[in-house]
Amino acid sequence: MRSTQNVVENPKSGNAGFGGEYSDPPLLVLASLAGGPKHGHAMIEDIALLCGSRLGPGTLYGAIARLEQQGWIEPLPAEQRRRPYRITPAGMKVLRAKLATLHRFTTAGLKRLEAV
Amino acid sequence: MNVRWARLLTRLYPKQWRERYGEEMEELLRAGDVDLRSTFDVVRAALAESLWPTHGGSMDQRVYTFGGVTRQPSAAVPLAMSTTALIMVLGAVALNHGPIHDTDEGAVAHIWQILMVLQLPALALFAIRWLRRALRPTLEVLALQVGVILVNVAVVLFLT
Repeated sequence: MRSTQNVVENPKSGNAGFGGEYSDPPLLVLASLAGGPKHGHAMIEDIALLCGSRLGPGTLYGAIARLEQQGWIEPLPAEQRRRPYRITPAGMKVLRAKLATLHRFTTAGLKRLEAV
Repeated sequence: MNVRWARLLTRLYPKQWRERYGEEMEELLRAGDVDLRSTFDVVRAALAESLWPTHGGSMDQRVYTFGGVTRQPSAAVPLAMSTTALIMVLGAVALNHGPIHDTDEGAVAHIWQILMVLQLPALALFAIRWLRRALRPTLEVLALQVGVILVNVAVVLFLT
């Protein structure tokens, strides 16, 4: 999964610039769509609520195009000029696997920090 | 954001990308509060899309049809070669007013042989490149090419 690093910092998050924001746009898009189908603007807002990262429009659509290419998300019929997307079963599988890896990683990392 | 500015930013993307995502991207830019950083983000992403285009997904449906695959040089060249060979041999038969029974093969026969042999590596290259990308239209194009080759062979066998 290609990770685009250009995530626009959210000044409201309070920890901008201190590395507290997670920036893996494709994973963020998958996580957002796991909560139900959304169009671009709704995804940006949801991701900002989810982890404090505010994706730029170009980064968001870069991630959407590649996720669609991989078959991990799919477009729904357009609502006026907005097109919602939903996560596919293959996307769910990938998201679950990635989050499980992240969970193991954060658990191990936090344990090590506690030991310091 | 201003509609014109949103349209201008969207136009930075390649045409194929715009045809698929242009309208929704323009709407996102128009509806959102896009600042300088976001503008830079769009410019960077458009440049990246121009350098490393996204293939596959529904964006490539137009390209990966039978017609789209046939227009690819690796498909068009062998098809043109076998069609040219067929036209040449049919032309020679027509000029002779019937089957040709000369023992000397002549220039037409030599060119026909060269065209038929040279198209085989081109055909193999096409199959290697396109079978993975678009299986069904590639098989259809390959079937068409095999058909033209068989017609060529039949014409040579029965009319010369």
